[in-house]
Amino acid sequence: MSFEQIIFYIFSAILVAAAVGVITVRNPVHAALFLVMCFITTSALWLLLEAEFLAITLVLVYVGAVMVLFLFVVMMLDINIAKMREGFTGYLPLGALVAGGTIAVMWYVANNDYFNLTNMPPPERLAADASNTRMLGEQLYTTYVYPFEIAAVILLLAIVAAITLTLRHRTGTRYQKIDQQVRVKRDERVRMVKMESEERK
Amino acid sequence: MIALSDYLTVGAILFGLSMAGVFINRKNVIILLMCIELMLLAVNINFIAFSYFLGDSAGQVFVFFILTVAAAEAAIGLAILVVLFRNRRTINVAELDSLKG
Amino acid sequence: MNFDMPNFLPAMPEMFVLGMTSLILIIDLFLNERTRVVSYLLAQATLVGAFILSLSLYSGNAELSFSDTFVLDPMAGVLKMAVYATVFMVFLYSHSYLRERGLFRGEFFVLALFGVLGMMVLISAHSFLTIYLGLELMSLALYAMVAMQRDSRTASEAAMKYFILGAMASAMLLYGMSMLYGVTGTLELTELSRAVQQTQGDRLLLVFGLVFLLVGVAFKLGAVPFHMWVPDVYHGAPTAVTLFISTAPKLAGFAMLMRLMVDGLPGLQPQWHDILVLLAVLSIGVGNVVAIAQTNIKRMLAYSGISHAGFLLLGVLSGTPEGYAAGMFYAIVYTIMGLGGFGMVILMSRAGFEAEQLEDYKGLNQRSPWFALMMLFIMFSMAGVPPFIGFWAKLAVLQAVVSANLMWLAAVAVIFSVIGAFFYLRVIKLMYFDQAREQGSLKPGADLAVVLSANAIGILALGAFPGALMALCLQAMGA
Repeated sequence: MSFEQIIFYIFSAILVAAAVGVITVRNPVHAALFLVMCFITTSALWLLLEAEFLAITLVLVYVGAVMVLFLFVVMMLDINIAKMREGFTGYLPLGALVAGGTIAVMWYVANNDYFNLTNMPPPERLAADASNTRMLGEQLYTTYVYPFEIAAVILLLAIVAAITLTLRHRTGTRYQKIDQQVRVKRDERVRMVKMESEERK
Repeated sequence: MIALSDYLTVGAILFGLSMAGVFINRKNVIILLMCIELMLLAVNINFIAFSYFLGDSAGQVFVFFILTVAAAEAAIGLAILVVLFRNRRTINVAELDSLKG
Repeated sequence: MNFDMPNFLPAMPEMFVLGMTSLILIIDLFLNERTRVVSYLLAQATLVGAFILSLSLYSGNAELSFSDTFVLDPMAGVLKMAVYATVFMVFLYSHSYLRERGLFRGEFFVLALFGVLGMMVLISAHSFLTIYLGLELMSLALYAMVAMQRDSRTASEAAMKYFILGAMASAMLLYGMSMLYGVTGTLELTELSRAVQQTQGDRLLLVFGLVFLLVGVAFKLGAVPFHMWVPDVYHGAPTAVTLFISTAPKLAGFAMLMRLMVDGLPGLQPQWHDILVLLAVLSIGVGNVVAIAQTNIKRMLAYSGISHAGFLLLGVLSGTPEGYAAGMFYAIVYTIMGLGGFGMVILMSRAGFEAEQLEDYKGLNQRSPWFALMMLFIMFSMAGVPPFIGFWAKLAVLQAVVSANLMWLAAVAVIFSVIGAFFYLRVIKLMYFDQAREQGSLKPGADLAVVLSANAIGILALGAFPGALMALCLQAMGA
């Protein structure tokens, strides 16, 4: 067994185990952490496939941003986990059946002779100074410039949609008006009152 | 040597598991969203494996876009989830029953 | 590396819509409740401008641009113009509805225009990449629009269901695309069709990819058995959003089906033909039968939409340019009828009251004979009664099916549409022969009254002269 294969099998095993974790644990925080593990092991597999830029993007963007967003929402919504556990096992046979069926069909297709080593041998490894990032960048800004612009629009849409759905102006909220606080004058805060001194009785 | 079919098999297992996850976690919307992320990850593994073995960069470019869109999708999905939770105080799918289809 | 400047001209309408949408997004920040109408007018102006641009770019031949990821052909031209016209009508219908419910916000128009842009990208897509991105741009805008009524429990629930099922369908579609990419090594549709003819790879692999692809398309069109979201989303969403979701995206869905099957996979025609037959029969059957059991008019129209999606598939599966033209004709006609149907629900509603139940239509004739007549036109047209336009649309797809030697399929479709006629006629019975639950005549706003009347009379007028629209569809398909 070559070193490459050892790496492949170790990371694939962790990936599959973590995926099982995502779908079976009941606590959403644990599920999110298992999903992080999936992303990290997948990025190792992508490194084997010479997709360095995407591998690092997966860690930076997915683990670093998307999963943090997930965790934020899990923590923000105060979810009753005990209630979530009810009826979980009821769907387990159905889930197992779906998983078994899907995997069996896909396995059969994936192991089609068309995809074996003789028919599709792996290409030569690239030279050490080959830049995957440069290759992707050149493609993105030339051949795929139109999809690139649409992707930008999708991100803009996501911003607009997320703000529209969640921003609310609460009328009762108290917050600091810093500009007014800084600009405040003495006269607005302190009122000098002149009064006659009173005699204590 | 690792064959293309090995990578595809990993993708297939991941896709199957996430499908099962959707059926098992009928009660918890946030885990459903995670299952969808997992599904897209399976697709991405397929694309990158094909891209490498075909010696064609289009697959990697496609994955770049899927990652972008999936991040946007997650943001909108979570926003809808927050709106839902504010209205219903639950994200349990079984309790979502105003619409009977 | 060298970069050939792409030809930007064919994408002018897309650039115009994007520019205007961004402009509205900024201008809306400076508007208050009273001046919000500016956003609405600008959105309408955007659609009119895009229509003029698309019309001036319309020509008989196909033009590729942006490294073949984009195509402007006659089909794209006609469908885009149909989308602008549809969304223009949707905005007209929803204006007062949105105002009464505090939804009259700039975001509604911005999101809708982003959705329009997504449809345009999808209609003009010539690569898996642009199909996926266009589809997502459209769908993400629709998910957000369903959830826009933030204090409504049904709307947020509908949005969540729509989102989960829609995202799963997208993932399926992507899995199919990845399989086809793996076997053919290309994402571009013309090359794909060439590679499919020549591939030495197992046919099984291609069919496997095709099945996943069709799951995604069937979901977006709302065909059985991927229709579960349709009634819930149509019911739960605010009616103005339902009106939007049920009309224009169907045109884009039709374009997506055509791009993938006819442009990309003509080599697998025997295989997709069989799958589409199955989807069509199930959709027509389930749609028409289940609609009978509905008491909510939005759900009833949702099931009616499912059966219409089945009819649309009938046109495509025949595999001839005439059949495709019939499918396109059906898509456009369904859009016009859908506008009328949900437009009527908007017209009957008022602040604090949604005319969602069939009961609410009882005795409409006593309250307003004119609108009862308009609803009669719409219902007859949906049922496929001559001389309304719905009849010609059904006739065109049935002719296509018969010419493809699928007599049994035509017979099944006819039988189910006769069954389906029952629930359309029930609405008419309620309107004309039942006692109204509430008295007092119906007084909709002037704009709504005019739009709905124009829409319903258009259904009748187009039914009297269907030739022009049909000729346009035939020309667009090169038949």
